Amino acid sequence: MIFLEIITKSFWAGVAAIGFAVLFNVPRRVIFPIWTLGALGGLIKFSVMHFDIGIVFASFLGAAAIGVASIKMAHMRHSPPLVFSIPSVIPMVPGFFAYKMMLGLIALARIENTDDYVQTLIQTVNNGTKMMFILISLGTGVAIPMLLTRKESIKKSKFNKNKKVVV
Amino acid sequence: MNMKTLKEDAQSTGNLLLEIGALLMSSGASTHRTRVTLERIARGLGYGIELLITQRALMLTIIEKDQQHFFSRMKRISPHGVNFRMVSGISHLSWNVMEENWTVVQIWEEVKRLKSLPHYPRLVVLGLVGLAGSAFCNIFGGGFVEMTVAFIATVAGLFIRQEALRVKFNPYLCIFFAAFTASFIAGLAEHFKLGAEPDKAFATSVLFLVPGVPLINSVTDLMDGNIQNGMVRAMNGLLISFSIAMGLFSVKMILNF
Repeated sequence: MIFLEIITKSFWAGVAAIGFAVLFNVPRRVIFPIWTLGALGGLIKFSVMHFDIGIVFASFLGAAAIGVASIKMAHMRHSPPLVFSIPSVIPMVPGFFAYKMMLGLIALARIENTDDYVQTLIQTVNNGTKMMFILISLGTGVAIPMLLTRKESIKKSKFNKNKKVVV
Repeated sequence: MNMKTLKEDAQSTGNLLLEIGALLMSSGASTHRTRVTLERIARGLGYGIELLITQRALMLTIIEKDQQHFFSRMKRISPHGVNFRMVSGISHLSWNVMEENWTVVQIWEEVKRLKSLPHYPRLVVLGLVGLAGSAFCNIFGGGFVEMTVAFIATVAGLFIRQEALRVKFNPYLCIFFAAFTASFIAGLAEHFKLGAEPDKAFATSVLFLVPGVPLINSVTDLMDGNIQNGMVRAMNGLLISFSIAMGLFSVKMILNF
């Protein structure tokens, strides 16, 4: 039952998002939306990865979905989009690869054997680049919808044109 | 600042804007958001501003419309930890300034109210972050035993981090302590062979420490062209990751696996 597994994992991704949301002290009214967004991002990421598409692009799609949905949510719940998007994206942050890369770097400092050194170097670079690209894809994925809809919030400030000067 | 000395002049407005900017930067807003919010408030009050935003200091020049007077000041930003209730509240505030013509005194009252807003109760935070830890464990394929181990390890690690922050250790050292505690507990479970795949619990017990806000804000800043702030945030995130790795590494040396 691969579908059941994906859905369970998405559910837990939402739970992880709530954990970070509470850690970041979000307003109470946005907690449930953050769970939804985290689960949505997880659902998309895990489904895409199921079709043998790399983790980088899968993370990008998940983050982009979160970014688009967070703007809708921002209008509904009256909070800036980043309050929704950052906690929901954090379960996708490649902490595991960062950890592997750091352990690899530490190992590189003490390995003497050339073969082991090359092997560790390859793994470290692999983990490091994966981490970097996932991070970039998360950042751009969240930001691109904001960049596209930025017009809306500029439009919203139109009524300021004839503002009286308060002195 | 004393309420009675507040006037609707450039100086009070400048001080107010610096305070709001410092709060935003230390609460985890990106550089672009801080700039846009401050400019919006200033425009609402009828001033123009020029800003220099760095990670640890703000520099602001506020100019009256007739260009006769200006006021310039720098303010240090002291890091407080991420607080999205503040970011959300200040966003509301900035729109109120635009739409409802709030005065400096009103804004100052609102900032004071936002600062006094409570955080979530400690037990709630510990419990939910613990659940997040077991959630990570589930995502990486751990079973119920591993998830329980991850829960206990995460709660213990976060508790140690809060206590270390309270007695004002160096922030990276706080993260090292937390990573050490969490991975030590998960490592003990691995040592005594609890569960089918105890290494899953070991790897996920420290994930609550990942520097998500610095790293994501770093990419956001870099994309917005605030290269300098982006690099500073990325370096901060890297140092945090390094502290976590050091904690894990110490536990690996002690427990010898």
